[in-house]
Amino acid sequence: MPELARFQDAFAAALAERTTAPIAGWLPDSAAELPGLAVYRNTIAKGCVDALAANLPTVARLVGDEWFTAAAALFARDSPPSSAALLAYGEAFPAWLEAFPPAGELPYLPAVAWMDWRWTTALFAPEAEPLAAEAFALAPEALAAARPRLHPSLAFAWFDDGTPSLWLAAREPDADDLELSPEPQGVLIVRPHDAVTARVLDRAGHAFLAAAHDGASLGEAIITAAEADPTTDLATLFAALIADGVFSGLDLGDSA
Amino acid sequence: MSPTAGLGLKPQHYDDALAADAEGLWFEVHPENYMAAGGPRLRRLEAIREKRPLSLHGVGLSLAADADPDPAHLAALKALADRFEPFVVSEHLAWSAWRGVHQPDLLPFPRTRAALDRIAGNISRTQDVLGRTILVENPSLYLPLTGHELDETDFLTELTRRTGCGLLVDVNNVFVSASNLGYAAEAYLDALPADAIGEIHLAGHGADEGGSALLIDTHAAPVAEPVWTLYRRLIDRIGPRPTLIERDDDIPAFGVLMAERDRAHGLLVREPAHA
Repeated sequence: MPELARFQDAFAAALAERTTAPIAGWLPDSAAELPGLAVYRNTIAKGCVDALAANLPTVARLVGDEWFTAAAALFARDSPPSSAALLAYGEAFPAWLEAFPPAGELPYLPAVAWMDWRWTTALFAPEAEPLAAEAFALAPEALAAARPRLHPSLAFAWFDDGTPSLWLAAREPDADDLELSPEPQGVLIVRPHDAVTARVLDRAGHAFLAAAHDGASLGEAIITAAEADPTTDLATLFAALIADGVFSGLDLGDSA
Repeated sequence: MSPTAGLGLKPQHYDDALAADAEGLWFEVHPENYMAAGGPRLRRLEAIREKRPLSLHGVGLSLAADADPDPAHLAALKALADRFEPFVVSEHLAWSAWRGVHQPDLLPFPRTRAALDRIAGNISRTQDVLGRTILVENPSLYLPLTGHELDETDFLTELTRRTGCGLLVDVNNVFVSASNLGYAAEAYLDALPADAIGEIHLAGHGADEGGSALLIDTHAAPVAEPVWTLYRRLIDRIGPRPTLIERDDDIPAFGVLMAERDRAHGLLVREPAHA
């Protein structure tokens, strides 16, 4: 193996093992540990922790700096970045938190991390012009047969408790007295233009988006929403989703 | 256009950057922070680019790894260079990616002739993909590695000869490395080929919080006076070059950074000390 490659293997080992022993062949004869290795290690750890704090800000806020820094540094050791674009670092953090024993005291934390992650993903998602209400001014049959394309920044999910409300409240500037409701809720995250918006989604709204995501026509998605919650006002639900900017296109069913 | 001074662009300063009216002001960003499909960050950069020249200063290409540059990273860099038409693209004489892991730092290596061959190849590959030459920056060093076959200045000079690349001289890195490894910063700067130098960086450093005698290239403080002195000495020798104030941590108000930028600008546009 070329010396440069051998050095890089050795340096990576020195960083992981926190000792200059693996690179001793490239250092002056001396028994003492050199402080320089720790400088590189600290810079790397800070780079990872800062990126995770930027990408998962609500988690960082809920657990405090000290807890977050310690957890993020451990995560970075288990799951280091694979790309220099650190704005895309942290996708594995929610699942990692689920298996991180100290997070057990905050059972909603992985879900909070997931919502943070999807918020960050939405921020950097591809551009697409959301459809305005006029785009849906079609004859009833044509509208029911049309298949909506969902905005590329859209994320939504259903939770078996009120974590979405807690997450939204925790993102407010002066959040305190956060409470976790036992009521199941959904969340919708989307960036139709410049800003990411997020809101609680009810059962019917979630059912509509899940159906549309799976390729349903508007008519099919509306029926699915009505089945999920027969009391829901379907016109209001649909208008709200249009206002959210979740639709970026409409494939008009060619029934001819 | 005669060389002027610029400022590292931070997201919290987008509005100030758009409103700034300083003559000759330009901005520099890390392309890695804009390697996204879309979003407001790219749009803001676009708006600023409409008013100001831009420099792309990469931190993630890992030119000094014993591996080809990552094609996906190069493609993303090229897309940004094509879109934003920077007046300069630069990278570091360092490595960060190795066997699928990206270490967000600029790591050292033994400067052997074999390493020179590899890195010259990586620079040429990068320049071929981008369709332009790049500048390569001297790193901050913290370990007294042995096994070097070339001095860093000779290594950099040889890279410019072989690839046509230019040099980005980070005067603070020279100061920090000279202090940490025990050599003379003045002699290092004097050994660099003037014609190859296309940009200069100025930043702040600090003491090692770990308690060692090392200086750390933190980019978290104002440019230190000894670094300003070295800078004046350098531009007295080589003439003015586009000069950047870099600040990446403990970021103060835009005006505070502009005051440092204006100081560099004043030195660039004064009458040259040499005839």
